[in-house]
Amino acid sequence: MVREQYEIEVWGTVLYIAAISTSLDKAAIDVAIEEVKKFVFDVDEVFSTYKNQSVISQLRRGEIEIGGCSDDVIEVWNGCNEALQLSGGAFDPWAVAGGFDPSGYVKGWAADRVADILVQAGVQHVQVNAAGDLTLRGGYLNKEGVLEPWKIGVVNPDNRQEVLRVFEIFDGAIATSGTYERGAHIIDPFSGVIAIGAKSATVIGPDGGLTDALATALMVSGDDGAQWFGQEELSEYSAWCIDRNDGGAWGVGPVFADEIARQ
Amino acid sequence: MKRALLIVGGTVGGLGAVLSITPPQITSSSSVSSLPGAMPALGGAKQNAPTPTAKATQSSAPTTAATKKATPSAKASAQSSASATAAPAQSQSATATPVQTQAAASAPATKSGVSGTFTGSAVDVSYGIVQVKITVANGQITDAQAVQAPNGRNDRYTQMAVPILRQRTLAAQGANISGVSGASYTSYGWYTSLVSALKQAGL
Repeated sequence: MVREQYEIEVWGTVLYIAAISTSLDKAAIDVAIEEVKKFVFDVDEVFSTYKNQSVISQLRRGEIEIGGCSDDVIEVWNGCNEALQLSGGAFDPWAVAGGFDPSGYVKGWAADRVADILVQAGVQHVQVNAAGDLTLRGGYLNKEGVLEPWKIGVVNPDNRQEVLRVFEIFDGAIATSGTYERGAHIIDPFSGVIAIGAKSATVIGPDGGLTDALATALMVSGDDGAQWFGQEELSEYSAWCIDRNDGGAWGVGPVFADEIARQ
Repeated sequence: MKRALLIVGGTVGGLGAVLSITPPQITSSSSVSSLPGAMPALGGAKQNAPTPTAKATQSSAPTTAATKKATPSAKASAQSSASATAAPAQSQSATATPVQTQAAASAPATKSGVSGTFTGSAVDVSYGIVQVKITVANGQITDAQAVQAPNGRNDRYTQMAVPILRQRTLAAQGANISGVSGASYTSYGWYTSLVSALKQAGL
């Protein structure tokens, strides 16, 4: 059993990867990580809104059309559109100043792709943490060789050292969006002002891009998010929101259904 | 079919797990970045020390209580229960508080190491200057703040959190978790300055 951890500086943050393989040696995992690095730096070149010459920047300026873009860009564009529809417009990358900004989707989407590169290479147990948007594959094989779920802690936005809740995930993605005491970074597409719907929103589900985008959308919707989150199309997704005023929390989805059944 | 809405009670504080302090678990690690310092423990490694697991379980106790109390509204459709969430959730805070107290009382805090504040380099980003200051107590990072941020966007950078920083800190303090999900801002300037502050602290 080989257990390795990697940190890659990219996207203005750190991409953290834990890889456990029962078949590969370290050198083979390192080779797969090289492929991951190539992918993530390419994503940065294509999707960064900080880079003037990125494909997204050119799209934003209207210099190119989506139809002429690469499959990855079209996939992200379509994924953003799906999130827009599912969230009833609460996630809208087309409503931001400066044009189409898929930043709320790309990190989760890319985390999935990174995990899949590693699984393809023969890493059975993978955690990819892209600045709080995580993709998990194959559960966590502990040192005794026993398979456990990945235990992912959601931290308090007001106190980063405090774990509010731990979610256990074998395969899937989890994303948390939130505000801090003195700042908010999500714009409500309906009003154009800073979103104040929830203090922290966590989404758990099969697709990384969608969990990333829906967590952002729940920040905008707050309690109203429970309405659109109840739709059948999101039956595989769970949401956990902390109210911005009284600190109360609500949850919806299969993660919590299991919890009720166990009681 | 509308799915049930579970109302998870308790204040944010009441739901919190208080982490016990244990030395960092360093597993086989390999870094492809220049990031200094110990890596977070890989996975929910078994710990000999007083188990954070148990505390995490305790802290979810109010959730259980809230779940049962909330059953009537959980049967309602997600649509109609949305507006009902705040009140029952708030009423659970009394249940949650004792758990938090208990957990806090049992958290040992013994570890020696570097203490102080360390200010990273000022990094010129396209929209201004970003400079990060970290606070370290006994080798543990307890806070990270922006001492300089671009004009008019101070708020955005004042409380930024870097997930890897939290993951490392939480892992070092013995939280029995394998990953951290939390809201984050990403910024080239923030991260570059943070790394320089970490180097100064020898972390």
